[in-house]
Amino acid sequence: MKTIEIDHITKDYGWHRGVFDLSFQVEQGEVLGFLGPNGAGKTTTIRQLLGFIKPDSGSVRILGKNCFCQADEIQRTLGYLPGEIAFIDSMSGMEFIRFVANMKRMRDLGRAKELMDQFDLNASGKIKRMSKGMKQKIGIVCAFMQDPDILVLDEPTSGLDPLMQNCFVDLILGEKKRGKTILMSSHIFEEIERTCDRAAIIRDGELVAVDTMEKLCSGRKKRMEITFANASMAEAYAGEFTKAQQMADNPEKVVMKVGRELDEAIKKAGNYTVVDLDIHTQSLEEFFLHFYGGEDK
Amino acid sequence: MNGTLYKKEWKSNGVLLIIFIAVLTMYAAMIVSMFDPELGDSLKQMAASMPEVFAAFGMADVGQTLLEFVTGYLYGILLTAFPAVYIIILSNRLVARYVDNGSMVYLLSGPQKRSQIIRTQLIFQVTSLLVMLLYVIALIIITAQFMFPGELEIPGFLRVNAGLFGLWIMFGGICFLCSSLWNESKTAIGISSAIVIYTLLVQMIAQVGEKFEFLKYATPITLFNAKGLADNTAEAWITCAVMYGVGIVCYIVATQVFQKKNLPI
Repeated sequence: MKTIEIDHITKDYGWHRGVFDLSFQVEQGEVLGFLGPNGAGKTTTIRQLLGFIKPDSGSVRILGKNCFCQADEIQRTLGYLPGEIAFIDSMSGMEFIRFVANMKRMRDLGRAKELMDQFDLNASGKIKRMSKGMKQKIGIVCAFMQDPDILVLDEPTSGLDPLMQNCFVDLILGEKKRGKTILMSSHIFEEIERTCDRAAIIRDGELVAVDTMEKLCSGRKKRMEITFANASMAEAYAGEFTKAQQMADNPEKVVMKVGRELDEAIKKAGNYTVVDLDIHTQSLEEFFLHFYGGEDK
Repeated sequence: MNGTLYKKEWKSNGVLLIIFIAVLTMYAAMIVSMFDPELGDSLKQMAASMPEVFAAFGMADVGQTLLEFVTGYLYGILLTAFPAVYIIILSNRLVARYVDNGSMVYLLSGPQKRSQIIRTQLIFQVTSLLVMLLYVIALIIITAQFMFPGELEIPGFLRVNAGLFGLWIMFGGICFLCSSLWNESKTAIGISSAIVIYTLLVQMIAQVGEKFEFLKYATPITLFNAKGLADNTAEAWITCAVMYGVGIVCYIVATQVFQKKNLPI
């Protein structure tokens, strides 16, 4: 049994919004990054995990329990950080944390205090007057303070400054070491790269890819620029690869994108006189953006 | 029921209840004190000078006894309209507002079923109305006994209040159902106030004269028959039971709706 099982769910809001026949799993002790552009259906999926909405078809299970009907049982071992956080404005931060702790039937606030220290949070003020970042910290405290086995985090670092984002990555790594199962959506690639074992990417409500980070990243392209001694060499070389292009304004230069055929590209270049070689690896961000936008740049 | 949430609701809505109770105190004490068993009282003279206005507020042909006086002047409009406003505001605060702003996430963040959460909100609404009712009853009895000892027929007065509570429960059920049905505060408040204002307006028009009397069949407030309850007629008790019935059915439907609906939070 997988910890989180999303099995062919469809939730159609019309105008091609929602999620369509989406399936993936999160295994015990794994951190799964959940990526996709705005409006791709990440939050719709997460709401189904929390039992706030019912899928039109398919099933969502956590620890084998139905997320809609048995939401109360799942909540015992689940921490959730909503993407759009809303608290009870009339309360102070501390009052709110206490209120949530009582709703979760927690006995003590020890872990909450630790988290507040870790994130340098002073929660004594009224929530209404708090900045986005402070509210985010309160959301983080509320999600983690119960020390749940499963965490569902919707854009957990939005509104946090870079220092706090680092702090958050450390928190995730710590929780991962302690065997927690985490599903986390994010737009910050560095954060995903540093924390996640696997990533699921969705676009327009459909799954684009789900794989380990290494596998996903092995598809990262390299852009190679080779300058040959003369234009005819460049032309001959460019003729050997379909993806290679001789540059119009600089005929000695060939530009090509290489993936797994790197070895062949280097060896073949050895048949000519190479004057200069530049290799630019596609950044993780560029790599994910091609999933986002759909076009292969 | 969830104790934490119930306590929280008292803390957040206590002030609202106190404000409404304060307004009711002022009116109720004033009206009771205006009763004059011997002389043709001043209110009556006023009523004679503008009969339509008084009729609209249910204050026509107010009788001679203190009970008739109180039910005529207070239970016609003051104790229906003011609590109705309280009910509209409170119903929205208990469900739709949490869903609208997203904080419902945290009400559902514990090991409680949705049914437990919605039942807690329902129980809070009913108990807060009960507090208001008991306060009004005590206030009027005490004021009456203090100013006109022995004049108020207490059993009859309590019967009228049983009916009044039925009316509140009916409004409460309707507004609570609106709050559970719609995810936006604006819509929930808009529709529940439209229903309540319609009910009150039609009631006022129906009371003005013979010409519009038939309109009394178009408003559920007619079910609250204060005079009939004071006189202990069977018909008045039946319509009173209907009000409780409507309220209870609405409350039950509301809890069912809330358990099954998709929450955009």
